[in-house]
This record gives sequence, structure tokens and C-alpha cells, in this order.
Amino acid sequence: MRIFWDEARCASLGMCEEVAPEAFEVGADGALVLLAPEPPESARALVVEAVAACPTGALRLEG
Amino acid sequence: MTVTADTADTAAACAAVRAARPYDPADLSSKAFWARPAAEREKTFAELRAHRPVSWHRPVEERLFEDLNDQGFWAVTRHADLVEVTKRHEDFLSGEGIVFDSMPQELLDAGQGFIAMDPPRHTKIRRLLTSAFTPKQIRLIDDQIRANAREIVDAVAQRGEIDFVTEVAGLMPMHNICDMIGVPREQRAHVAHEAQFAGGWNDPELLDGAEPLGRLFLAMMNLGTVSAELIAARREHPEHDLMTNLVQAEVDGERLTDEEIISFFGLLSVAGNDTTRQSISHAMQALTDHPDQRAWLLEDFDGRIGTAVEEMVRWATPILTFRRTAARDCELNGVQITQGDKVVLFYASANWDTDVFDHPERFDLARHPNPHISFGGGGIHHCLGGQLARQQIKAIWRELLTRLPDIEVSGEMSRTTSTFFHGVNHLPVRFTPEQA
Repeated sequence: MRIFWDEARCASLGMCEEVAPEAFEVGADGALVLLAPEPPESARALVVEAVAACPTGALRLEG
Repeated sequence: MTVTADTADTAAACAAVRAARPYDPADLSSKAFWARPAAEREKTFAELRAHRPVSWHRPVEERLFEDLNDQGFWAVTRHADLVEVTKRHEDFLSGEGIVFDSMPQELLDAGQGFIAMDPPRHTKIRRLLTSAFTPKQIRLIDDQIRANAREIVDAVAQRGEIDFVTEVAGLMPMHNICDMIGVPREQRAHVAHEAQFAGGWNDPELLDGAEPLGRLFLAMMNLGTVSAELIAARREHPEHDLMTNLVQAEVDGERLTDEEIISFFGLLSVAGNDTTRQSISHAMQALTDHPDQRAWLLEDFDGRIGTAVEEMVRWATPILTFRRTAARDCELNGVQITQGDKVVLFYASANWDTDVFDHPERFDLARHPNPHISFGGGGIHHCLGGQLARQQIKAIWRELLTRLPDIEVSGEMSRTTSTFFHGVNHLPVRFTPEQA
């Protein structure tokens, strides 16, 4: 499982961080930091929810 | 923008479509409708949600200025439709104004900041500020938020009777947002007062005899003056605050202009003050009206305040409406929308939608899940300060309910006349004074 981030679409809302703070963090410059680009299978449900919470479609999950 | 014959033709054709469209019989436009309390307005919303969820209405009766091009607005009343409009930011634009009253362009430019911008500029600007409002950052300033709550309650704890709005609910967000921006203490009351006009331009008490449009301009000018002084001060001596971030920031290799920074200052002042104030004030009324809920919360404050805050924010719905403008002809829940149509989102209605909330008329501090849209429907303009608001509401109720546990409303709530803020001007409360 791998998370992809599209910087051009991201508006730094931090809604992914609200859902899954272990995997996402809005950095000091406003850019998103993927803390776990390849999260463990045990985190799948949370990561799927976080990706779905993005209103600008800046996050994508593969695998 | 150059107006070509083509775009002029399109605009005329769209205006003709609007002119031929009949108005819905339900009244959302009169002064009388907006003077009613929320529970009364809900009767109209319930009818619209059930039968005509996307409906076309005549322009609001009490207008800021005579806009001959204002032909009316779509009212979006269901939760699902509100969320959809919010997420379709390419169809429904914010750049032409976000309140359903028409406003002169100078006011839009001066006072609405990036909330009235569209991508790509919105995305870049918002990123400059967003890192100050993330869940992690707000946790880092929690000590300061709690200290502000303590100081506010210290000042009133021995008095026994106070105006809750001006002495508690208004001060909490005022100090916290001003701490973040970097506004000096002696200017905070002035900033908070002037910010109120952004949604209270029709409120007789606030206007105090002044003419609405002129007073709103004056308020924006006054906020601009404070902001300009602060800009100069931070350029000279940088500090650790949002104003310093803004004067140092670059977008596409260019510094922000003073006008842009002043506009963001206006937005932060309004959004930071006039939302949390209403949430705390309406919660005070609700805790008085529902003593069982207060008792339930007090049994395990730390364990229960999480869901309680969400319900307080749903119950208050501090912002009543936001507007979008259709970028092109498109469809919404089966209704044909025409380019240039105003589309108004009714937040209190969506927060009472029985398709989403079980018994929305119940103030239920244990409600979970609670997908209220008081912070927005999840689009690109979603509330930047949601975490800050939550943390403040928790801090002030922790302080109030532990130190003044019998605090209750002792008189009539005086509400702000507004189509935008669910405002409270005054709310008398009483409590057993704390022992010195």
C-alpha cells in the first residue's frame, strides 16, 4: 500500500492529518509531509478514510 | 476583464433565464424571516428540505445597496447538497462574493481575504497560513489558550451576575486570535468590535444610528489602520506570530502587497472572533435549557467534552449562510443552474437535516457520529480555525463549569440581526460567586 500526494491540488487543509495523524502532517511551510508513505496493512482503514477526506483529491492510494 | 460581445451576450441570456424563473413561495428573503429565532426559521427549512431542497428565491429585502443585477438566489437546504456544492469548487465559485447580499467590489477586496478567492491563488495563499492552524500547532498553544480562559474567568468569578457575551464569550476568541496574529492587548477590543460589522451590518444596536454601508466601510478602514501599523512594526522587528509570517511570505517569488495582508487581517479578525463567540454563547443558553445534559457532561468532563464540543458547534451553527456563484450552466440535485446564479448554502438547515441527524432538535452532548457542517462541507474553503475553535470551547467550559458550576442564563438573549452571523449581542447570566 502506497500513498501518493499531488502537490498542485493540495490546499493544505490538514483534513488527512485530523483523521490519521500517524501518516500525515502539514509541515511548517504548509506543504504536506507523508510520515508513512507506505503505511502498514494494519493502518489501512484509517488511511483509506484520510485519503477519502481530502476535498481537493490531492491524495491517492495504490495497492 | 475585457467584455467581448460574446460574454455580454451570454450574460444577457443568463439574466433572461433568471428573469423568467418563478420565485419559490417560501419566504427566506424578508426582514421578518431573519428577525425570527432559529427554531422558527427551521419550520421553513424543514418544508424546503422535504419538498424543494434546491429552490429559487427573490433577493433579500434589507439590502446593503441597490444592486440592479441582483435577481435572486438558489437556497440549498439539504446536508448532502450543501456538501456537494462545497466540494464542486470549479462549478461554484467564491471569487464573486461569499455573503448573499451583494457588496461593492471594494468591500469584497478589502474584507474577505482568501475566503473569497478561487484556485490557484487561493491554494497558494492559504498555504501561508495553514501551518499555524494544524491540529499539532493548536495543541502546542494549548497552555496559552487555557491561560486566557483562566484570566477571563478570574475577572468575573466574584461578581455573581454578568453579561456573558461581552465578558466571557467574546473575550475568549478575541485574545486567542489576537495572540496568534500579534495584535497588542490595547487594540484588541477595538479590533473585535469593528470585526462585528462584517456580519452585523443590519444590527440596530451595533449600528447605533449609523448608516449600514458607510459604517461597514468605516469598520473595514479601521481594521485596515490597525493592520497597517502592525505590518510596519513587524517589518521593523519580526516576532513569532502570523503577521510576521505574512510580511515575510512570498508567493510565486513575490512578497504579498500591503492590501493583501490587510485583507487577510480582516478575514482572520472576523472569522476568529465572530464564530467562537456565538458557539460559546449559544452553548450557555443550551446548557441552561438542558440541565440533564450539563449534569451528564460534568460527570466526566475530560472524557465527554470531545463529543460535547461538536454538539455545541452544531447547535450554535455560528455562520448561517455562505454564497457561491455558478461558473457555468450545471445541475444540482436535478435542478438546472445557470451561469452567474447566486447559490446560497443554509448551514442551520443542513445541521437539522433528519436524513443525517437522528432527532436534530435534541441537544445531545453524546451525539456520535456528528457530521455537522458548522466548519464547512469539506471543500477547499473548509474552516481554517476549526481546531482552534474546539480547543478554545473546551478550555472555557472546563474553567467555567469547574469554578462556577451553577452558572445559568438569568434573562432574555439579545440576538444580532443578521443573515450571516447567528450572533448574540448580550446574554445575562448569574452564578454563586467564587470565594476569594
